[in-house]
Amino acid sequence: MQAKINTHLIEIFKTECGSVYQCDQTNHFILEYAGRVTAFKPINFIDFTKRVFAINLHDMASNTARHADIAILMPLYTETCFLLTMIDTIRLQRILGGAKTILHLHTLLRTNQLQFA
Amino acid sequence: MKDLLRLRTSLTEEIEALLNEQIKVEAYSSSIYLAMSSWCDRNGYDNSAGYLEKQSGEEREHMLKLFRYVNDLGGSAVSPEVTNIPQEFDSFKGVFEMALQQEIQVTSNFNRIADRCQKANDYVTFQFLQWFLKEQVEEEYVARRILELFDVIGEEGAGRWEIDKHIPKVSFGNAGE
Repeated sequence: MQAKINTHLIEIFKTECGSVYQCDQTNHFILEYAGRVTAFKPINFIDFTKRVFAINLHDMASNTARHADIAILMPLYTETCFLLTMIDTIRLQRILGGAKTILHLHTLLRTNQLQFA
Repeated sequence: MKDLLRLRTSLTEEIEALLNEQIKVEAYSSSIYLAMSSWCDRNGYDNSAGYLEKQSGEEREHMLKLFRYVNDLGGSAVSPEVTNIPQEFDSFKGVFEMALQQEIQVTSNFNRIADRCQKANDYVTFQFLQWFLKEQVEEEYVARRILELFDVIGEEGAGRWEIDKHIPKVSFGNAGE
């Protein structure tokens, strides 16, 4: 799952729709999605993940109003504006959720490694 | 590979969320005590109004203690939105019954957070919470003692005036004296 792209960029999680990398030089997470690349500080990456998971998919599916088909995310810490359909949201949730799981697993393994070193 | 999440904060997402919830509870407590203070003031219970205003300040201090801790550990403390503060109360006694209920709720919350900290092996936060757990013993004690004044003194005649006079004197430090 974690293949090195170059010296500083490490792939965290990838699906057919996008991927998340970690840059050890800048200490940023990099999201590649829908042909766009967005860099996040760790604190903002966590926040962005929360925002994506907070999108109410049930409401998007059941609400017949036209505006309900799209979720708009414009976090102030990035210049990218995310216009997400329901499918986009599910895809993005898969990428970010997968990345988050791998990162937590990494923390867990690292902590245990330090404990038993 | 660096552990960027751990470099950011030693708080797990779960504990950070629980602490932020508690920040909101403390802010709510502070606001409700202030509302109680106002009610007491306009109903002629001056001493209780002063006591409750002081309590409101203490609750805010508790909130800030949690707030600073979350930020100090690299987390994101959230300034809470506090709504639905009752402004009217059934009776003088009802004010203090509600105050006790609020303190019981706060104790229960801290117990729950402490339990989650142990399960998450977050002994740093667990240690930090000890101060609050100890504080809750005092808070509940004082709230119960105040409520007992209503039975001991009685509300008839000048009873409520007498109770109001005694409320600011109730303290945990005086226990057993």
